[in-house]
Amino acid sequence: MECYSEQTCALAVDGELAADEARRLRDHLTTCARCRALVDALRAENRVLSESLHELPDEAASPAGFSRPRWSWGWGDLAIMAAVLAVGSIISVWLDELSIPAALEWVNPFSLSGRTNLISYLFYYFARGGTAMLADYAAVVGWTSLLLLLGGGALLLGRRGRLRQPGLRLLIVLLALSLPSFALERRHGEFVTVAANETVDDTLLAAGNTVRVEGVVNGDLLAFGRTVEVRGTVKGDLVSCAQKTEVSGTVEGHIYTLSHSLDLDGQLGHSIYGLVQSLRVDDRGQVGEGIVVGSGDVSLEGVVKRSVNIFTSNGDVSGSIGRDLTMAGGSLTLTNTARVGGNLSARVRQMKDVHIADGATIAGKRDVQVNVRENHFTRPRFYFYQAVRLAGAMLVGWLGLVLFPGFFQATTQLVGSGWRSLGLGVGVLAGVPVAMVVAAITLVGIPVSLMLFAVYLAAIYLAKIWVGAFLGRILLKPSGATKRDWLLGLLVGLLILTIIGFIPYLGGLVRMGVVCLGLGAFAGQLYRASRPVMTA
Amino acid sequence: MDAKRNMAKGPQLREGETRQMEGLDLESVVERARSQDAEALGEIYRRYARRVFGLCRYLLDSRESAEDATSEVFLKLQRSIESYDGSIPFPRWLLRVAGNQCIDALRRRQRGRRVIVEIEDGAAVIEAASSEPSPLGAVISTEERAQVRDTIARLPENYRVPLVLRYYSELSYDEIAQKLDLERNYVAALIFRAKQELRRRLAHRSK
Repeated sequence: MECYSEQTCALAVDGELAADEARRLRDHLTTCARCRALVDALRAENRVLSESLHELPDEAASPAGFSRPRWSWGWGDLAIMAAVLAVGSIISVWLDELSIPAALEWVNPFSLSGRTNLISYLFYYFARGGTAMLADYAAVVGWTSLLLLLGGGALLLGRRGRLRQPGLRLLIVLLALSLPSFALERRHGEFVTVAANETVDDTLLAAGNTVRVEGVVNGDLLAFGRTVEVRGTVKGDLVSCAQKTEVSGTVEGHIYTLSHSLDLDGQLGHSIYGLVQSLRVDDRGQVGEGIVVGSGDVSLEGVVKRSVNIFTSNGDVSGSIGRDLTMAGGSLTLTNTARVGGNLSARVRQMKDVHIADGATIAGKRDVQVNVRENHFTRPRFYFYQAVRLAGAMLVGWLGLVLFPGFFQATTQLVGSGWRSLGLGVGVLAGVPVAMVVAAITLVGIPVSLMLFAVYLAAIYLAKIWVGAFLGRILLKPSGATKRDWLLGLLVGLLILTIIGFIPYLGGLVRMGVVCLGLGAFAGQLYRASRPVMTA
Repeated sequence: MDAKRNMAKGPQLREGETRQMEGLDLESVVERARSQDAEALGEIYRRYARRVFGLCRYLLDSRESAEDATSEVFLKLQRSIESYDGSIPFPRWLLRVAGNQCIDALRRRQRGRRVIVEIEDGAAVIEAASSEPSPLGAVISTEERAQVRDTIARLPENYRVPLVLRYYSELSYDEIAQKLDLERNYVAALIFRAKQELRRRLAHRSK
């Protein structure tokens, strides 16, 4: 009898041959050694296939949780990193020790003055470059955001998936928040002006080389330009991003500003909040509430009815402050005419940086403290605060692990993708503020921008937790993947990061690296988690 | 989103509950799960997540897709466990659900078309004796088994999917044909060719 083909034998071994055919094959096998050998071999092959498959790939060891971190950083990477850190430290030490003349201090990026200068110029050039187009640009961004919201909503309605419910809710909230933006008047041009006899009833978004308000704006004024001047009245808030902001008229609300200089010699109903290179409240200027600013130079000659909080490299007070004056930074001078209705507290590097003229009046206590960099290791309070911070971070880590176990563990693991996380993190760290500014140009984008900001800050804080947990894990190499292992790893990692953080110069760079790594891992994991899921 | 995902990925049980569940036989656990008992569902996850993930990993092309499919399987399990009638062993039933999930995913990727398209080349009637290397040996080492797995994972989809469904999910040719919407003979030919290709690649590797 003729022998059976291999395929027929394979069918038989798989139990898929028809009953009578199978019986004939069995009969044949009793007489044919060749076919018997083939069938035995095929049977063995099936067993091997089945056994091999059932052993499962290594990555299936713990699908949901936490397999061993993939530490893709080789020694070469670590050497490059160490070299970068070392060179960075040397450069920062050198820059710090350079004796820069006071007049040039503003160009030193490591001084407060230099930093605020850098930021204000950055924003000024950003605003100026696009000044002419800004309002059109705002309209385009606004419409695009709106279309994206509507399109996204339609897309989510039409599909099923993990993101559907929360995604739709978020879109509805954003749409609701964005609707008031239609009550916005936009003006742009080289010279934007609200004439003395003119009244604008809406919020005014103005962009131009010079924005001048001589009449009345009943809503808020959002102004972008080289020079923003308020000579008339703004009944709402003034939000300005300009090289020079001057208020000689009246602003009844608050002033929020990001300007190179802000001069107030008019009336302000509420407070000033901002980041400026130079803030001057003229002797005719009056602030109805308080001032909270970070600024290179501050000169207060007029009246501030409530408290003043300034973070400045050079502060001069010759006017009157109704309540407390709190200052931190370089130097503070109170002239004979200065008057502080509450307490004075100043944090400076040296006692001689605070000059209080004999004629100055301070109603409350004087509290001048010298920040000495070196001595905090000797104070028990320092260790107490560090312990509190560590405990806080552990608590946050624990909460995160309880609330979002998969996400936290996966993010921790993603830290191990090394350069990719680091690169992504640098991009996110630098890119998000730009995205926030772009989004905030339109009112539609402001809530998005604020939410983004909140997430950004939270992620910067959480970065050390993910990196710490990862570091602890590669050091402890726990065999399991329990919560306790993760938290123990976090404790060890955070301790190490905290200690490294205190090494002068190097610590700062390491902290920066940790933030970038953690942000990168977070962004990567967010991307992975948000990809559409297959449903049945 | 996360809460849902995490629930699917592994309900976090308190230690005492886990231990209590560990002692129970599968039948009681399934019975309790049928009445939507969260602990029992968690226990099923604990016992079978690896196997389900393994199947998804073999059938789908990336770890992420496999993780997503595994999550979906256990999410669906909460809804569909009531339809389990005990006619086949529970693990086999679960792997069938998982297989369906993966095939759906593959199909969706092909935009609704069939996962494997039949090609008219007479594949169903290969009867000529094979000139390929002889079938795999009976006893092979752990390392070699890993090699077999790795090679299977790299096979083209039309070979890999039926092979895994047959030797991991232990489905019959008819069941595979039904799932993949193919003729039974074609499935037989695909499995036969898949094994030949596997042998060829393994032989090539060991050279």
